[in-house]
Amino acid sequence: MLLLAGTIPDKNMPLTFGEVSLKNGSLVADGRHFNRFQGTGAMISAALATTNYLHLKPPKVLVVGDIGDGQGSRELYRYLIDNIVDLSPEVFVMHYCLPIMTLMRQLCQAVRENDKKTVMVADAGAMYAAKGAELSSEFDIMTPDPSEIAFLADPKATHPAYIAEHLFECDASKIPDQIDAAFRNGSAAKLLLVKGKTDYIASGGNILATINEPDVPMIEAIGGTGDTITGLVSALVYSGMEPKEAAIVAAKTNRVAGELAKVTPATKVAQLIDQFQSVFEKHLCQWSEVCCK
Amino acid sequence: MKVALGKGKVAFKGDGIIIFQEVSHAIQAEKLIRKYGYEVKLISPPPELRKGCDLALEINLVESHGIERILKKDNTAFVSINPLMKGTADLCEIVKTTDYGQWVMVKAGNMKITFAKNSGLVVNVSGGGCPDIPYLHAEMVDKRLDEAPSPKDLGYTLCAVMLDLAFQESIRLWNGGNN
Repeated sequence: MLLLAGTIPDKNMPLTFGEVSLKNGSLVADGRHFNRFQGTGAMISAALATTNYLHLKPPKVLVVGDIGDGQGSRELYRYLIDNIVDLSPEVFVMHYCLPIMTLMRQLCQAVRENDKKTVMVADAGAMYAAKGAELSSEFDIMTPDPSEIAFLADPKATHPAYIAEHLFECDASKIPDQIDAAFRNGSAAKLLLVKGKTDYIASGGNILATINEPDVPMIEAIGGTGDTITGLVSALVYSGMEPKEAAIVAAKTNRVAGELAKVTPATKVAQLIDQFQSVFEKHLCQWSEVCCK
Repeated sequence: MKVALGKGKVAFKGDGIIIFQEVSHAIQAEKLIRKYGYEVKLISPPPELRKGCDLALEINLVESHGIERILKKDNTAFVSINPLMKGTADLCEIVKTTDYGQWVMVKAGNMKITFAKNSGLVVNVSGGGCPDIPYLHAEMVDKRLDEAPSPKDLGYTLCAVMLDLAFQESIRLWNGGNN
């Protein structure tokens, strides 16, 4: 099972678990509809596009409404703490949620009790919680953007809003140093995919790959284009790719989709996601042995 | 094997601290904050943060904006909200802009807002990881800067505070760079 968990910006959305599908442009799980907006919706939509193309089982999703007060996030954590061993997903993604370190500790403790290996992916609030709780190394993949790698590199910060100003001010050429610092601090997952003008894939403090092309700088302004990378890499790992290869393919896919969509800063993330099938059709067999089956 | 709720429960450990002048204010605030469902713990403040009261509240710093609003709405007096970790940096208040021709992206910390130069229309909100950001994205995008809600009014978390910094700078730029 590919399990994708996160909050949805609809305070009336109850905790919902089920297989996800796309109907008339919106996502549906257990009969409840939610949008492909920035955040968990974009991440899920990207993963679903990937599993559909590869004829894999669609992801199972665990979503709940939360507009920031944390009530939904707490429900999400508690459900996972109680059920993650029974669910026993092959790949588990924790995404937008309030970063609550106490509950993240309990969740990681529950995951440790599972005999079966789960590939753990964190981004957004879940990544903040993992770093704050000093549990980053229990995750297999994290997908920070440049401000978030600065946060992971700062041993004192418990939220990106509190990163030391010299780390925020530094130019992109310093990102490899920040990646190194994040690994030395124990604030990095086993593999980092740092999303930015150059995408870095790193493990154990070493840069394994960089992706620069195609250069589509306007992608940075589009809300949700980092979330799509998280969804892509997770679904590709679920397909059987090694995390490093999945990270490279995910980064390339997002860039080429941006180019195909001819994005501007006003483009909505769904327009980018709608290009993924074309990107896979044209490039996936060249980029990877995991091809359309 | 199902993990029972509460098994291996870890004591609450936050990363933020609320300082009060009066012990009674701290106690009142603790009840109020708990009533709204936030995790909170009464603690003794570290010496470097003592400001006239030997009782403080430990909270999740990321929830400080929502908690601050509750305290203000209830007229519960407090001195300040700070990171608990000794030596932690202050809020990163550097704001950067990127010119995309017809559009400008303004970045504060981990948050970005992009608007059209001519109309002031907010075309995208990106970055962040807290649950109020997708909500703010939905509420702000496709509205003009002078019609969009302030992230500080609708948001609850530090991500919203950073987005508000970018929002205020966007308004300033759209108004010709003047306050």
